[in-house]
Amino acid sequence: MTELLVKNAHVIDPLSGINGETMDIAILDGKIVEEVSAAADVIDARGMLTMPGGIDSHTHICGTKVNFGRYMSPEDMRAGRTPRRGPMHATSGYSVPTTYGNSYRYSVMGYTTLLEGAMAPLEARHTHEEFTYTPLQDTMANTLFDGNWSIMEAIRDGDVKRVAAIIAWMLTAVKGFAVKLTNPGGTEAWQWGKNVSCIRDPVPYFEVTPAEIIRSVIEANELLHLPHSVHLHCNNLGTPGNYTCTLGSMGLVPDLNPKRQTLYATHVQFHAYGGSGWKDFSSKSEPIANLVNMRPQIVMDMGQVMFGRTTTMTADGPMEFNLYRLHHEKWSNHDVELETGSGIIPVIYRRKNLVNSIMWAIGLELALLTKSPWQCLLTTDNPNGAPFVKYPEIIALLMSRRYRDAEFAKVHPDTGSRVPLPAIDREMDWYEIAVMTRAGQARALGIQDLGKGHLAPGADADVAIYPMRIDEVDPSTEFQKVIDGFSRTEYTIKRGRVVARRGECVVHGSNATIWVRPKVSENYDMGKDADFVEKFDRYYTVRMSNYPVQESYLSRSRCIETETEL
Amino acid sequence: MMRVTLAMKPMGRWSIPIEAESIVPANFLSGTDLSVWRGNRELGIEEAFSVLVEGDADRAEDVEVVLSGETARLKRIGEYMDAGKITVLGDIGMHCGNFMSGGAIEIQGNADGWLGREMAGGMIICRGNAADYCASGYRGGRKGMTGGSVEVFGRAGDFLAENLAGGTVVVHGDAGDMPGAEMRGGTLIIHGDCTRPAANMKDGACYVYGTARWMLPTFRKVGTAQQDGRTLIRFTGDVANRGKGNLFVGNYEYLD
Repeated sequence: MTELLVKNAHVIDPLSGINGETMDIAILDGKIVEEVSAAADVIDARGMLTMPGGIDSHTHICGTKVNFGRYMSPEDMRAGRTPRRGPMHATSGYSVPTTYGNSYRYSVMGYTTLLEGAMAPLEARHTHEEFTYTPLQDTMANTLFDGNWSIMEAIRDGDVKRVAAIIAWMLTAVKGFAVKLTNPGGTEAWQWGKNVSCIRDPVPYFEVTPAEIIRSVIEANELLHLPHSVHLHCNNLGTPGNYTCTLGSMGLVPDLNPKRQTLYATHVQFHAYGGSGWKDFSSKSEPIANLVNMRPQIVMDMGQVMFGRTTTMTADGPMEFNLYRLHHEKWSNHDVELETGSGIIPVIYRRKNLVNSIMWAIGLELALLTKSPWQCLLTTDNPNGAPFVKYPEIIALLMSRRYRDAEFAKVHPDTGSRVPLPAIDREMDWYEIAVMTRAGQARALGIQDLGKGHLAPGADADVAIYPMRIDEVDPSTEFQKVIDGFSRTEYTIKRGRVVARRGECVVHGSNATIWVRPKVSENYDMGKDADFVEKFDRYYTVRMSNYPVQESYLSRSRCIETETEL
Repeated sequence: MMRVTLAMKPMGRWSIPIEAESIVPANFLSGTDLSVWRGNRELGIEEAFSVLVEGDADRAEDVEVVLSGETARLKRIGEYMDAGKITVLGDIGMHCGNFMSGGAIEIQGNADGWLGREMAGGMIICRGNAADYCASGYRGGRKGMTGGSVEVFGRAGDFLAENLAGGTVVVHGDAGDMPGAEMRGGTLIIHGDCTRPAANMKDGACYVYGTARWMLPTFRKVGTAQQDGRTLIRFTGDVANRGKGNLFVGNYEYLD
């Protein structure tokens, strides 16, 4: 029995409705409890900002694509090198660090739960193996279904229940957490050297459109009662004028779930572009934010771009090819059999570049123009927009108009006429930041019932204690203090144990992997479906019996079983 | 003037190279309390060398470091050096003069791989031969050497001046395969022969006074040019990389 008492903490916990109360947090065996005995270890957090552990609902930290980013950028491994120290392994890498590098840096910033944004089902084992070596955070993986042949055929036949059954089988087989659609239809078209320009274009050879894929998969997702909604990366990413496509995709979304959104639109910054080409490229964050404000069934994340060097990686192969044609740099392209694909290229976002400056502004605008912070979460789509170590700077930009103005003065001089950012006065407060970085993320992912994202009794004891007295710091002027405060916790506590202290990780840690097993009836068990089995035999390079990931790959398995309508 | 003589002690049973990034003239201004590494073991400089200091100096420009003994496996000498002089009486190990930005290094013997990698300024003279990746970039990097000069009086190995982005590289003997690969600036002069020069170059100038064997077909011939009293054949390319570099060769042979 281990007991811990965090005393005199200044707590912000939006899911419990606590906004700046001084209180004690009692922890018993990894859970928050009402009280502990006098024998408990005590941490004095007098006046320090204390929040639930941070959650990143969209990041790329583990899996074949991330690893390929490491292979192809040996120069990135020369940055961010740290030697072995105490229980910490040596790390290296800046935009795609080693697994330990990711885990330590997140932990030092107070993050305790991470969602890997895209896992190709066929290559799931690799993701789970890397999760094992991400010891200080609980992990989950979005599973890619954007170009799945069986699903597209079921959609063509109008059989949503079959779509749901395939998703159920796949999630169970690969130990995935949620459904991810990346450029639905487009990624498959790319395997044939083609693309789809928006949601009404038919996918070559499959007689379905992206709109049909999005709508059917959303319905299937709700039939399965999955904790998270469909996680959508819209079509036409990164193209001038693509905001109309984004609005169209968002318009398809029905309101099917009273507890959470039915669509999570990811890295919307990359999907909020106006203009007809790079010459008249502009921000269209306003219409997007306006639509989201009217539709509580949609949650988005920022996909904020920050200046500097990074690596872009996505299952959206055609988009990466376009980016390659723009930069003429290194490029990797990958086809995952019947399921999806991917592309990777390193990029440098520059202040002197007008397009990059506008992209930087759009992410901030989306966050500031969305009225409810529960509907716009803080991410960089790590590392696509920027490495996650930039989060403290983004927080400071959202909290301080003065900081934004100072940064705005440094970007390309023509940016002002293309973006609404200079006219936005809003400065977010600590509570809103807490929503955008933990409470909102937990609710959007549907994991608050698992005890994530809040500090009420019964919750997992994941706590971040920042060395900041928020009654003494004025974020609108003292933005450097905000950046420093959020960059390094005084204590990061995961499952009741102090895992990081003032920039040092102090234990090796052992994470849990959260995954979903939807319970379906015998009729809908795809493992016994003749057509589905035949597809494996004919087209896959592996046998169906070798395909599922064994539970032994999960260091600590946390399975969510859902009752379904199948 | 300060003259620091480091005579390397015999390696004895050790076969592991010594990494000595601390051997930079500026570091001797504050004494000889420096350390080097043999594998994962840190050694005081006195454990690896007999140290003799003559005279004194206030600034790094006035410090000369002389290395003698079995220095062929002494790595990373002069890394990040910005002033002063290093003289190596024999051969030197890998990565000599990495990231150097000023001062001079003279090697009287041969240099192992990566001599003057990613150098930004200063001067390196190698009286013997240089091994592979002389004056080059590093794995995956976008820019190699950006300034300064490297002069090799013997031969150079493969990938000479790979990713060259500035500065001058002169080799008096032959060079190996792929000299000037991915060049994007600077000047590369090879007095002897080489194979496949300037592959994928974008910009800069590469001169091969001897014969360019296995000449790449992605260079367009544009006439002749005079250089040092010789007539060289002039090419532009690499057109496969939309490059506008200049390649001048005495003779060339395409691969059959």
